[in-house]
Amino acid sequence: MKLLDLQGHASPEDSKTHIRIPFELDEGCGKLNLRLQYAPKTLENREKAIQLLKNSYDLYILPENREYAMENADRHLPLKNLMTLSLDDTRGYRGACHRQDELQELFVSEREASPGLTAGELVPGSWSVTLSLHCIVTDTCDYHLQIWTTEEDAI
Amino acid sequence: MKWLACELHTHTLHSDGSQTLEELAAGAANLGFDAIALTDHNTMSGLIGKEEIERIYGLLIIPGMEWTTFYGHMVTIGLSAFADWRQVDRDRIDVGIESVHRLGGIAGLAHPFRIGSPACTGCFWEYEIGNWSAVDYIEVWSGTFPSIQTNNRRAFDLWTDKLNEGYRIAATSGRDWHAQGETDEPISVTYLGIEDDAVAENGDEAALSIHEETLIQALREGRASVTIGPLLTLKLNADDVDYPIGSTVPSVVERPEVAAQPILVNLTLDFSVRVGLWALPKQICRLKLCSNLGEELSLEVPSSSDGQMMQFEVQLTQSAPDIPRRWIRSELWGTVQGAYVRVAFTNAIYFEEGGYPR
Repeated sequence: MKLLDLQGHASPEDSKTHIRIPFELDEGCGKLNLRLQYAPKTLENREKAIQLLKNSYDLYILPENREYAMENADRHLPLKNLMTLSLDDTRGYRGACHRQDELQELFVSEREASPGLTAGELVPGSWSVTLSLHCIVTDTCDYHLQIWTTEEDAI
Repeated sequence: MKWLACELHTHTLHSDGSQTLEELAAGAANLGFDAIALTDHNTMSGLIGKEEIERIYGLLIIPGMEWTTFYGHMVTIGLSAFADWRQVDRDRIDVGIESVHRLGGIAGLAHPFRIGSPACTGCFWEYEIGNWSAVDYIEVWSGTFPSIQTNNRRAFDLWTDKLNEGYRIAATSGRDWHAQGETDEPISVTYLGIEDDAVAENGDEAALSIHEETLIQALREGRASVTIGPLLTLKLNADDVDYPIGSTVPSVVERPEVAAQPILVNLTLDFSVRVGLWALPKQICRLKLCSNLGEELSLEVPSSSDGQMMQFEVQLTQSAPDIPRRWIRSELWGTVQGAYVRVAFTNAIYFEEGGYPR
């Protein structure tokens, strides 16, 4: 059963923010499925990427090492958008999937769960997904979150 | 004191690592570690099956989690439950550290000077810490061959500054280990000191007989020594009492006859640890005593290739009356892969305010 189908857009100003997305889980659910996809993943505009890196080198690297850092900026390219997902059930935290994949197909059930999430009883009630926008480097980044339930053995 | 070889910063595929807990444990056991902390990003789900893996590899696995946030990465270990990383603003990390402590855990700054966003999101420490006394440790060495990296030198300097200001904070290394794979770079080890009576005789599985809380307590008290080679330890003896790393020498301002006795410094370099798993080129190294008064002593010592134990005993000089000695640590310097670097350093021994000797 479909519980949520949410599309949204993020921009660089949304970096360093969380989006909390509540949803209701009904009685008798065997498996909760989540699918998060966002695009684009990388910033392809090299000139812009170099400028962003220069700003961060000014902030994070000692003055005497900045020139060397700029000469070796390629080691930090391409710059990537990073959006991660964490899950809370009615009782509390069910884990997070902190990785770079721009498509994450996840599930939790009583006996099993995707890496990062915790298997256990699917208690009906108010749940939530939190999208953590660690860094958005492209002008806009589209995201799509889908949540649905199935029988435990089904996909 | 028994010193356990620990790796305190690791990841699995439960976050962005590309290894299972079993692959990580197998790799750590092969590298001679007695214990690891699993510190996946924002999840503790990777600990499933921990007890069986501990038994198979004779390796203690301490629960932990790296708070991977927008303003810094904070390693937490020894917690009984999850502490929420999402509610903490830039000026409220003290509340976050408190929540870790409430759950029995300890918290440390992970790689505080690694470049931040967008190259490495949130990697640079930007939290404003209100109460530095609450910080349990600083990961001053991150990655492989850590002592050569500028960002680690900045972290080491931050630690020294905080010791000078009077805070008692431990220092550790953490590989930030994400994948198995060979490396030619030296691997650092954080040795945690366990009192002899906390070790039950249990043959090769000695580490497993130690309760994880004992290990956490060792780090909480700063009983740690960090190295890419031999194990360096330090002990003071004042008025016939031994003071190991992490302890505090009491003030004797009320007892001038005791203050007149010199403090003895015992230094040990153990080249027999993790035999065959590290190498130091044959050379004359420098063994130093450093404190808030600066470099107090520098000895020439030969490196040993036959796994011997070297001991040195010196007397601590009296500090000037107007500048009390607040802390002291030992460091070993030498040439590794062509660079003159810190090879090892101990955590500090502290002196109670009021001064000893005056």
